[in-house]
Amino acid sequence: MRRWAHRTHLAGLLMLAAVAACRRAERAAPPHSLAVTDDAGRRVALTAPAQRVVSLLPSFTELLFAIGAGDRLVGRTAWCDYPPEALRVPSVGDGMPPNVEAVAARHPDLVVLYRSGPNITAAEQLERLGIKTVLLDLNRLEDLGPAARRLGVLTGRVASADSLAGAMDSLASQPPAPGSQSLVFIVWDNPAIVIGAGSYLDRLAALSGARNVFHDIGSPSAQVSIETIAARDPDFVAVLSDSAVPPRYARRPEWRAVRAVRARRFLFLPGQLFGRPGPRVAEAVRELRRRLDQAP
Amino acid sequence: MDRELILALSGVTCRYSGAPRDSLQGVSLEVRAGEFHAVLGPNGSGKTTLVRAALGLVRPAAGRAEIVGRPASAWSRRDLARVVGVLPQREDNLFPQRVRETVLLGRYPHLSLLGGVRAADRAAVERALVACDAADLADRWLWTLSGGEYQRIRLARALAQEPRLLVLDEPTASLDLRHEMELFELVRALVDGQGLAALMITHHVNLAARFADRVLLLAEGRPAGAGAPGDVLTRETAERVFAWPVSIAPFEGRPQMIPLRLRKKAP
Amino acid sequence: MKYVLLAVAAVATLAAAVLLGPADVPLRDVLGSPIVWQLRLPRAVLAFLVGGALGVSGVALQALVRNPLADPFLLGLSGGAGLGAVAAIALDLPGPWALPLAAFVGAVSAMALVYRLGLMGGAELDPRILLLGGVAVGAFAAAITTAIVSLAEATELRNAFLWLWGGFSGASWTTVLVILVYAPLPLAVLAAAARPLDLLALGEEPAQYLGADVRRLKRLVYLAASLLTAAAVAVAGVIGFVGLIVPHLCRLVWGRLHRALFPTAFLVGGTLLAAADTLARTVVAPRELPVGIVTALLGVPVFAFLLRRWTVS
Repeated sequence: MRRWAHRTHLAGLLMLAAVAACRRAERAAPPHSLAVTDDAGRRVALTAPAQRVVSLLPSFTELLFAIGAGDRLVGRTAWCDYPPEALRVPSVGDGMPPNVEAVAARHPDLVVLYRSGPNITAAEQLERLGIKTVLLDLNRLEDLGPAARRLGVLTGRVASADSLAGAMDSLASQPPAPGSQSLVFIVWDNPAIVIGAGSYLDRLAALSGARNVFHDIGSPSAQVSIETIAARDPDFVAVLSDSAVPPRYARRPEWRAVRAVRARRFLFLPGQLFGRPGPRVAEAVRELRRRLDQAP
Repeated sequence: MDRELILALSGVTCRYSGAPRDSLQGVSLEVRAGEFHAVLGPNGSGKTTLVRAALGLVRPAAGRAEIVGRPASAWSRRDLARVVGVLPQREDNLFPQRVRETVLLGRYPHLSLLGGVRAADRAAVERALVACDAADLADRWLWTLSGGEYQRIRLARALAQEPRLLVLDEPTASLDLRHEMELFELVRALVDGQGLAALMITHHVNLAARFADRVLLLAEGRPAGAGAPGDVLTRETAERVFAWPVSIAPFEGRPQMIPLRLRKKAP
Repeated sequence: MKYVLLAVAAVATLAAAVLLGPADVPLRDVLGSPIVWQLRLPRAVLAFLVGGALGVSGVALQALVRNPLADPFLLGLSGGAGLGAVAAIALDLPGPWALPLAAFVGAVSAMALVYRLGLMGGAELDPRILLLGGVAVGAFAAAITTAIVSLAEATELRNAFLWLWGGFSGASWTTVLVILVYAPLPLAVLAAAARPLDLLALGEEPAQYLGADVRRLKRLVYLAASLLTAAAVAVAGVIGFVGLIVPHLCRLVWGRLHRALFPTAFLVGGTLLAAADTLARTVVAPRELPVGIVTALLGVPVFAFLLRRWTVS
């Protein structure tokens, strides 16, 4: 009986490995047929690596530069500000929603979009103009690896993409680091909106050894009362801010019930590094760890 | 002995803004205590405008309107409501109310800002209901009343104001014969019994002629006759004002107007 | 007897608001807890005051436009407040009071505009013009607001809409004090207008014959009710259901005379909103619901029950 179970078990594992190998084989296809399946379920195939790419999300811009395809970029959004070389690429607008005409005017052979309702519509419009588009998810840490891999295939930068993806995947599979500090991410004050477990920021906190006091809320963000924040008594209030000026609501009397606000224990996290998932995750985690250690 | 002059209009001329002609032109009227005046005339002859001008709602372009010797425009609405009780043609009834409540509204001109409803006010309401023969209706909901009962209640409300002048604008317009007679009798009794002055606008020429002491006949805003019914309601005048052949027949000493049928012309 | 029940309900609701909440405050610590004193108590008191203001304002406006379906926010105030709030964020106005102050200014501007429309051509605040003007001004303000949000860069503007949906997160003793200083004047004006408003229900002409100075009355009532509503919106966003339902509830129980309606509408509105806010804070803890949703969910069944009782009797 046990040997039979073992054998079935082994067979199952072998089958999984075979399927995985086939998948990888499919992705590492010969250069003259580059195809991936994007997150909208579409099959995107190019006959040659993309040479003129428009990126419609700052994270994708960063990823493209990180895998060495930055020189192919011919269009970016107004928000794409990293790396500094990206600023030399012409902007096609703020991308919310994408300006299809501006994008088409760059004559791209590939447009990379974040998968959302308005973007799906824009992708359809671009496809009707004969421009290839790929729609990718990028909400969580786990999405970085697959996104990098597929961009690697489409731009012919498979090797560097795979190594970057490997680093992203291993980071994503890391357990929360040990630590005793707690924090809350506050994105809005009236009503109070905090970040929950569904968000990338929550993972960043966990990887840097800080506990998000609202980790029990599954959604990326949620409205809570100030009382709840005060009751959970986080050590720090983390805000996405490029300056070190305490947020305005810190002076309001009702927020003083939160100990971290009273004691001015804020973590000011620059939006460029922390505001979006990207290849600099490890750097973000290190930076957060550093600030946590430095705080009085 | 000259009875006290309650309402005096002299040479009043009014025109609504944007109207092609005057609504009233050179109308004069004197209503004394204990007198029942009727204002008659075809539609559009200015009867309701007369009431509005008399009570200061419309400023006359010419002439004067005075109540108890003071110009109508000099009266505050509150003070005026303690002297004149009005039954307008139309009234809204947004929310259900009981009879006693609505009659109590007539006491509002007498209530002070901070004070409550006093025993004297409730007594006045009771007296008004009794005078209008409506005491048994006191606890009924308004929407359960018949047309005639409703008008009596409105009259009771006006009486609760303890006015010296009652102004009624077409109070019997939709009433049946019995209720119409009852209302006229009621007004007559109030004028005789309590020394009130009454000014009634009505279409019912014949009842006005029998009950009123004096009559003002209006035609297109101008006075066509003022005085005792017998003097005003002559065949010539009536035919001119109402634009219809009539015959005048006396009844109990008062002229009654009988409209004639048109004789068919021979082809 | 009904008054006693109402007073008891109000006190009980306030007590519940203070004792219940997502944070666990043991009973013996309640009197000393900063969460109770700095957060729950001012929030409960503010909810009560705002609910009271909306209830009274609803009664006054329904009497003014002689329409039992009128709501304080039909007169364009919510659109104006929203525009003010969004402008404050888009222009990045400084100070912690920038948002409520801008919302207040926006609401009052909308009020002034509708007032002006209502007086045009000698209309003398005709109810139909007020209502239509309110809808038009509100829609206009909402359009400009949406344009600002779509053109501006700050993604925080989307969160401004969350504020607009109503809530008492920003409650503090300072806010309570502002309302306590501000509200008595419009409330006193409305209290003095109570009897004339009874008369206005008969129609404008009959009301004048019964002694009401209708012209002055309409202007004062419109201004007082709008100012109360503007203050409510400035501190709590748009909570639209209270001003519509509370007058009906009160009329069903206490009749239609405004001398009784105004105080009871204040208490009923306050109780309803304080209860709604407590539920909003506790029902999906640790998360919060927007208060306007809870007021609708609470108010409709209560209203249906009372309506049934009224039609049966």
